[in-house]
Amino acid sequence: MSFESFVALRYLGKTGALRLIAKILIVNVVVSSVLAVVAGLFPSRAVAASIVAGLFFLAALLYLLLASRSHVALMVTICVLGLTIGVAALIIALSLLSGFQDRIRAQMAARTPHLEVTPARGALLSEPAAVRETLASLPGVRSVEPAIEGRGWLSDAAGSTVLPVRFRSGLPPPAGEGPPPARLSGSAMGRTGAGIGSLVRLTSSRTRLSPIGPVPIAMELKVADLRRGSALDRSPDVEVPEAVARTLAALPDGAPAYAVRLDHFDRAEEAARQVSARLGPAYRVQTWKELNAPLGFALRLEKLVIFVTVGLVILVAALNIISNISLLVIERKRDLGVFATLGAAPDSLGRVYVLLGVAIGGLGTGLGLAFGAGSAWLLDRYGLVPLPADVYMLSHVPFALHAGELAVVAAFSLAMALAAAAFPARAAARLAPGEAIRLSR
Amino acid sequence: MTLAIEARGLSKTYRGEGAPVTVFTNLSLAIPRGEFAAIMGPSGVGKSTLLHLLAGIDRPDEGSVAIFESGLQSLSPRELARFRNEHIGFVFQFHHLLPEFTAQENVALPSRIAGLSSREAGKAADALLARVGLSERRDHLPRALSGGEQQRVAIARAIARGPGLLLADEPTGNLDVAAALSAFGLLEELHRERGMTTVLVTHNPELANRCDKIYSMSREGITLARG
Repeated sequence: MSFESFVALRYLGKTGALRLIAKILIVNVVVSSVLAVVAGLFPSRAVAASIVAGLFFLAALLYLLLASRSHVALMVTICVLGLTIGVAALIIALSLLSGFQDRIRAQMAARTPHLEVTPARGALLSEPAAVRETLASLPGVRSVEPAIEGRGWLSDAAGSTVLPVRFRSGLPPPAGEGPPPARLSGSAMGRTGAGIGSLVRLTSSRTRLSPIGPVPIAMELKVADLRRGSALDRSPDVEVPEAVARTLAALPDGAPAYAVRLDHFDRAEEAARQVSARLGPAYRVQTWKELNAPLGFALRLEKLVIFVTVGLVILVAALNIISNISLLVIERKRDLGVFATLGAAPDSLGRVYVLLGVAIGGLGTGLGLAFGAGSAWLLDRYGLVPLPADVYMLSHVPFALHAGELAVVAAFSLAMALAAAAFPARAAARLAPGEAIRLSR
Repeated sequence: MTLAIEARGLSKTYRGEGAPVTVFTNLSLAIPRGEFAAIMGPSGVGKSTLLHLLAGIDRPDEGSVAIFESGLQSLSPRELARFRNEHIGFVFQFHHLLPEFTAQENVALPSRIAGLSSREAGKAADALLARVGLSERRDHLPRALSGGEQQRVAIARAIARGPGLLLADEPTGNLDVAAALSAFGLLEELHRERGMTTVLVTHNPELANRCDKIYSMSREGITLARG
């Protein structure tokens, strides 16, 4: 072990800093365990118990900090706690956002094809059979369907309500006799007053020629299913079997696009690359993310804003590290003078404080990761934050932990701690040893 | 005769927030190798400042210091630190042991700074603690040692790297008579054993009389009081 790490470790260990942090952790674990038991026994009092436990923990924390006899231990502990709180807050905020965003993405992936192949030029695919065969031969492909879409008007059986809608292929072919099935989005259903089993009429914007001239193509459909409403279901639409869509769109053969569904929507990019390589430049291949690019951008922007705003807590913790380690440099001025007298080079003295910053950063980040990730996991696993299910379609607030995000938060926190320690380290390296000894006599 | 210390025309002024304080001007001193010298003088004439300049832990405003014919002013801060580590031992009046380190770890610090492994440095420190009679105190923190013991540990730390020059700033000033005699005796023995050049600042005439030479320092400068 180098001289610098030896000294930094001694400052952490022998001053009681690590002991103080361990005591705080033990109090935290005890309070959390008691809270978990009380909340389990009396679920209706969980919120009140959380407030009491939080106040008790704060009081215990203040007592432990005030009872500390070592300034070094106190300063180091406050630095570590600041960083822990910052990292935990950022992880909980991001996992909350990820929890909601993962559901939005899953809905996006459920309602849009995972891959869509369209011609680079023109309205219809030139060799639909060849494209279909190529797509079907890819590994991990669940279905390849022609995507046939159009616009029309939906009315109830009495014809009293007429609603402009989009229709698209997507339902399997009808099994029995009678009107073909249709799946209505929540808004389409609500606004026409139709329910499952009721009959609706879909009139296409396309026309067919009749002895009396062009007449709109219309079909009677039976509502077989309802797609639960979500934030993505603002405009009413109707899903019908492929044959119905072809009739309504006046497209007996060929296809404007193929929609591919994969076993795992996460593999869409990889599959898109393979498809592009095989089909060549005559076709355009888009993933579900590209098809929903504006929404994807909005979600990423939302996450960035949360990272920056909640990340300010880590910035404050870093400022706290600057001030506390600077105080430590002043308090331990004599030590610095002695080390210099014994032959420690200025940069070596600076490194002692950089290492102290690294240790504070490592401890604070590690504890913050454990606390933040642990809290998010518990909140999600046991559904501790309930939601009105009829409004949100969710019984509790979802939290999702992503390894990449944890790594970014950890790297950000460590980098901030290191940058913060660099300022006082520079001051330590610049200290004149004779002056340090003379002034601390 | 080769010189251990050659200081020429040293001037030092402290510039703080108040008016500048000139400690001394144009002070020169030459001490031959192997000498055991005492510097005496009233408080405030700059004895400690002189030792700091000789040890290279402070820089003079004017003048030059050469230790074993190496000019300290020409060395970079890093080179100067290494030079101190290898050639100069320093004993402070208030021992200045590091409170978080045991007696053995305090003695091992100069070796660890030099880059020796903890095992090698620890072994050397054990031998030195045995030499100063404190083997059984190796794992004690400084606060658990008596004043005399603390100063003996500080002396062991000062000679850890086998320096050619030992500077001691009132090493007995903070000790009772018995502990002072014991610490001074240790310095004498080590000086003889190791063939070092030893310069100490003291206010105690009895102890100064046991040195080879006594230099007297005043506002006017430094002179040889007893050769």
